[in-house]
Amino acid sequence: MQIDRFLQAISESRRGWLPYLATTVAIGALTVLLLKVGLSFQLANIALLFLLPVLLSAARWGFGPSIYAAAVGVAAFDYFFVPPIFSFSVSDLRYLISFAVFLSVAILTATLALRLRMQVNELRMREADTAALYDLSRQMTARGDLTGVLEAIATHVHGTLRLPVWIALPADGDSMSIRARAGQSSHDGGVDEAVCRWVFVHGKMAGCGTGRFEHADEIYVPLKTEDMARGVLILGARDRAGALLAERLRLIEAFAGLAAVAMARIQLEKEAHTARLSSESERLRTALLDSISHELRTPLAGIIGSVTGMIENASVLTDEDRRDLLFTIRDSAMRMNRLVTNLLGMVRLESGMLSLHKRACDVSDMLGVALRQLQDSLQRRTVVVDLQRDLPPLQADDVLIEQVLVNILSNAVKYSADGSRIEIRAGERDGTAVLTVADEGIGILEGDEERIFDKFYRAEAAKKIPGTGLGLAICRGIVEAHGGVITAERRSTAGIRIVIQLPID
Amino acid sequence: MGAKILVVDDELQIRKLLRVTLQAHGFTLLERATGSDGVVCVGMERPDLVVLDLGLPDMDGTEVLRQIREWSQVPVIVLSVRDNEDQTVAVLDSGADDYITKPFGMGELVARIRVALRHAAHAADEPVIVVRDVSIDLARRLVEKDGRTIHLTPIEYDLLKVMAVNAGRVMTHHQLVRLVWGDQNYEAAAHYLRVYIGHLRKKVENDPTRPTMIITEPGVGYRLLDCF
Repeated sequence: MQIDRFLQAISESRRGWLPYLATTVAIGALTVLLLKVGLSFQLANIALLFLLPVLLSAARWGFGPSIYAAAVGVAAFDYFFVPPIFSFSVSDLRYLISFAVFLSVAILTATLALRLRMQVNELRMREADTAALYDLSRQMTARGDLTGVLEAIATHVHGTLRLPVWIALPADGDSMSIRARAGQSSHDGGVDEAVCRWVFVHGKMAGCGTGRFEHADEIYVPLKTEDMARGVLILGARDRAGALLAERLRLIEAFAGLAAVAMARIQLEKEAHTARLSSESERLRTALLDSISHELRTPLAGIIGSVTGMIENASVLTDEDRRDLLFTIRDSAMRMNRLVTNLLGMVRLESGMLSLHKRACDVSDMLGVALRQLQDSLQRRTVVVDLQRDLPPLQADDVLIEQVLVNILSNAVKYSADGSRIEIRAGERDGTAVLTVADEGIGILEGDEERIFDKFYRAEAAKKIPGTGLGLAICRGIVEAHGGVITAERRSTAGIRIVIQLPID
Repeated sequence: MGAKILVVDDELQIRKLLRVTLQAHGFTLLERATGSDGVVCVGMERPDLVVLDLGLPDMDGTEVLRQIREWSQVPVIVLSVRDNEDQTVAVLDSGADDYITKPFGMGELVARIRVALRHAAHAADEPVIVVRDVSIDLARRLVEKDGRTIHLTPIEYDLLKVMAVNAGRVMTHHQLVRLVWGDQNYEAAAHYLRVYIGHLRKKVENDPTRPTMIITEPGVGYRLLDCF
């Protein structure tokens, strides 16, 4: 372990003194070894053995240490082994040729080793670049919003290139605004908007090291897809710009390309979403207009007709006629009131203005309020109430839940015949309060169980009976705002059963 | 001559409606269209009751009430709209006597006015309060329904008494908690209030699931109805 760590330390300090020390030590050890046991070797073999440290240091530390190893090796060989021994002088001049050959071999080896190392480094860098690109593209697909994507790009580019990074997007008018940044810059406030704008408009790189706007401290890279530029990536390179562009240009361009594609994707998604929304709201607007014009005009016709009748024909109307007309006016006005209440409720739900005032409330209490509110219309129905004893209180907005109950009960009355039964049950199951309202009315067709909760949806059979198709949609909105569920079931006999499940806490 | 009622509402149609119908019931009507005029009128004309619209153009209804309450205890009935329970509760807690939600039936409004006038007149404290088939003997702390004694816990009795003394009037959660539990922590006491109302209903209502006597005013409080 310790040897490993030591070797690692040596290899890390490539430019330090450690490789030279290690080479010296290795040659020293080799010399001692050869002096002890190797005197039987021929000199040519010893010379070859002295090439070993040269090869090793070339492979491990590069050019400098290997040349050094060659020089020290030659010196040691000469001093210890070439006669006269223990002297640098050489008796046979042919050894000088050997030294020259030895040195050339060492230099050649070192050069080859160095080239190999450079290739390995380059491969490693490419691999890291590929991994970085892959990582960025994965991060970007995971982010759905523009800000998130921009931040991911900035952080990632900063993490890879170790430079301050900004991303500028076109803002209102002709200006560009910084939408994401990563890393600290020594010259804060530095981004040159004019250069930024130029790059965005022309779709070409600019800034220091690029030949355009050399005075700038940063490199400006356009983020463009085929058809258009979408923003500008800015790298706070300053002093390193030249080297950076030489070494990492392709990576920078790849980053810019990925970023542009991601931005284009988000833009397209947004456009698709807007298109979907506007067609949906168009459909709703039509349904709303149809529904309102009919639902408002009918009671208004009743009111205006009755009133004008009473004013213009005052003398010919009997007391009973007048009473009838007055009841018509009252019922029409109440119908309009219900419509307005439902419309306002819908607007509130749709616009997200619905705020829940939750407090502990009893199901029996809320049911009592709803039954009381509908007591007139419920008179001609048999209402059966079955409440579980000791039903725990709900955390709910009682006013809104009462509105749900009123809507459902008035539907039960509206779509059923006089004298029929309405059964109301409430109980608790696994921390959920379950409320059911079952009637013996016209019921719904198979497949309509979900659709009756859609806004403005009216079942075929129900169209004879006035209504807006808003009541159940509001119920669903309110129940879901409470984290509950509301569903409809066809009853096997006749009628419909509405089931409301509300969390107790 | 009937009681003098001041109507403060900016809607001409509502004022006209109230003038015609309330005069038919024998009341004398004063009308003002703004909050500031209303406050001045309370001082100058000394009405017996004020019907105050909460949606005035010049001043917040709560502010009008505050200015009136600075020196006058005249009963005030506020006209509120649905979905504005918070403001309704706020004005009731700061001294309004009752409220009615627009649109309202005239019979209901006249009943509220009569109740408010009666309470303002401080009818001599009766020793026995009778609400339909329930009688409450305040001196003997005895409650009977249909002639049979009902056993109430002390808190149930206090609650019923407070509601009976204020029969016909809405009582907010805060008011009931303050009158029955005193200065206890409101959140905790509000929970008891809901529970005790349930207990009371079981003892005094004919059908506790469809109460007709102690009725809930959604989002506001409770009201003990002394007539059907």
